[in-house]
Amino acid sequence: MTEPSPSTPPLSTHLRSCLSRLIAPQRHPILLPLVAVALALLVCFIAIWLTGKDPVAGYQKMFMGGLGTLRAQGDSSTRAAILTLTGLSVAVAFSAGLFNIGGEGQLVVGAIAAAFVGQAIAPGSGLIHLPLALGAAMLAGALLALGAAWLKVRRGVHEVISTILLNWIAIYLVEGWLVTGPLRAQSATGHTLPGTAQIAATAELPRFFGLRSDLGFAILLASALALAVWIFLGRTWRGFELRACGDSPETARASGIPVARRVYLAMAISGACAGLAGALIILGMHRQYPAMFRTGYGFDGIAISLIGGNHPLGVLGVAAFFGIIRAGGTSLQLLQIHRTFPELIQGLALLFVAGKAILAHGLLWLRVRADGSSADRPDPSAAVGARPEVEPEPESAPKPKSSEG
Amino acid sequence: MLAFIEAILASTLDFAPPVLFAALGGMLSERAGIVALGLEGMMRLSAFFAAVGTLATGNPWLGLCCGMGAAGLAALGHAWLAIRWRSDQIISGVAINLVALAGVTFLVEALYGSTDTTGSATIGKLELGFLSDLPVVRALSNHSWLTWIALLLPVALHALFYATPLGLRILAVGEKPAAAATLGVDVAAIRYGCVVVGGLLAGMGGAALSISTLDRFSNHMPAGQGFIALAAVIFGKWTPFGACGAALFFAAANALRIGLESSVPGVQEFLPSGVLLALPYALTLCLLAGFIGRAQAPAASGIPFDTERR
Repeated sequence: MTEPSPSTPPLSTHLRSCLSRLIAPQRHPILLPLVAVALALLVCFIAIWLTGKDPVAGYQKMFMGGLGTLRAQGDSSTRAAILTLTGLSVAVAFSAGLFNIGGEGQLVVGAIAAAFVGQAIAPGSGLIHLPLALGAAMLAGALLALGAAWLKVRRGVHEVISTILLNWIAIYLVEGWLVTGPLRAQSATGHTLPGTAQIAATAELPRFFGLRSDLGFAILLASALALAVWIFLGRTWRGFELRACGDSPETARASGIPVARRVYLAMAISGACAGLAGALIILGMHRQYPAMFRTGYGFDGIAISLIGGNHPLGVLGVAAFFGIIRAGGTSLQLLQIHRTFPELIQGLALLFVAGKAILAHGLLWLRVRADGSSADRPDPSAAVGARPEVEPEPESAPKPKSSEG
Repeated sequence: MLAFIEAILASTLDFAPPVLFAALGGMLSERAGIVALGLEGMMRLSAFFAAVGTLATGNPWLGLCCGMGAAGLAALGHAWLAIRWRSDQIISGVAINLVALAGVTFLVEALYGSTDTTGSATIGKLELGFLSDLPVVRALSNHSWLTWIALLLPVALHALFYATPLGLRILAVGEKPAAAATLGVDVAAIRYGCVVVGGLLAGMGGAALSISTLDRFSNHMPAGQGFIALAAVIFGKWTPFGACGAALFFAAANALRIGLESSVPGVQEFLPSGVLLALPYALTLCLLAGFIGRAQAPAASGIPFDTERR
């Protein structure tokens, strides 16, 4: 394990130190997301090329379609805001050691609550109408998430399973009952219309450029929330307790933290974020709860959060990137590429994050290669082995903790 | 009334295979200790590649093999990440779902220039002519071969689990891999096998959608059926007959919903379709919460096995 020789050229020493820093992602948390997204962009580039289309033009269209015009920027910013919120939802739960897969359901109940409050209260309530609608959405999302938290704390149901089940319960009840039944819009002549009634103008999200672009309040709200979550998790006592529960519930309990209550808190914040995302979609884009409403943004939040390293600011950055290219996806249709293509990039990036142990292994192998003589160097597979030391195993392994209370 | 029951029975048997296959596949994977969150994505991959294979060869059975192969490969990737690299199984499951969702949309657009494939041959149906005179029972006739394979599989899996050494090893690996390993059971090999075979089964389920239930791949597939299969695994308490029963029960609820909506006008007023659609999930949740019975997951499900940590 000795250094090869004191006369190692400076360049190779430099290279080695660079590489060894690269393989320590805790010191370079931004590296993994960058590598994962870059690999995903590369794979998708090749995929377009293989189908006989022009990948350069495609990527150009995709990025310009998300940034080129004021309207495009508005679209990007709204999508980025929604993705930020669903991403934060997952990230907050994750830092408390919980895997909230229920973002989609919480988003849907948030959306219907926003649509209901948005149209139900008579215009004239003025300035408080929008906060009321946003608040209702957050409350609805939080309540659904609290259901999952209760099931975990009191009944020992793992939150991954309960939130998946609650997703579909929420989606079907909203879509197959509320929107087609009690909350269905009525026209002046008494005919029923698809979706809920249009929201009042007082409940619409303020926009900076009027009808020219959706650029406005949504992205400000989402950014502010990302900052707030960052400060909360990283700089407050309560946030520290939350993270302690995530890192080791036993230690947290032993040091007097009421773990069950922190589970409720984390899930409530998580659900509120997802519910707020639903409100942004309704109050900023559709202005009603449409008859057909399947967004997938709740599931996207899982990808956004994990690619962003479950860090609030990482989530904001990753959401901004995918917000832009997903808004630009519409322009890809000019090349006969489906507009959901950016979601493939997103999914692949998540897949590469899931395989981060492989990436770390590959980098270590590079390091050994850079060393030159591998004779007295440990074999990379022996050094890292099957155990990725780069990051502790996430505390999300589904192991029902039955009696948290 | 008899005709109505007969119709419900018939459509239950038509609806069941996708969820039934996927549930059995998911159960096999979870019994060996690997969480099966990627069922939806595997079904989607298989539904698409089965349609492609059928269109290319003209033979739906070859198409079925294509679909199963695609889902099996996805499962192999999942297993590799989970076993060799000890990645978080939930993350890679979600990743499979997301990649399959957008990736298949991209492929179908690239290959067919639309969101659906064109119509193709479908898996043949099994005529039971001698039943045609009997009321109700004749509903058993004229179903896809896949329906019968799906109904026989639980028996095979039950026999595997409870009557063969291999089955006992699988169960041991899912409950206490460390103990199994000390007795010389190759935990990794068993897990690889179960996840890949589980993926092949989920693939049969996905293929059933596109070359048996319908004659083409349509972009909305599998529309949450992978998740209902996951619910069926739990509702069936991780046993072959349980998962089979749960899948049949969910299929019957679906058939009943569609039957009621088409034959009883105005039923939506007092029994909205959303309530019936949500019912299987709500029941599963109640079961998990211990309100009706109790479902216990395999103890080691989702936990990577580390030979150095006992």
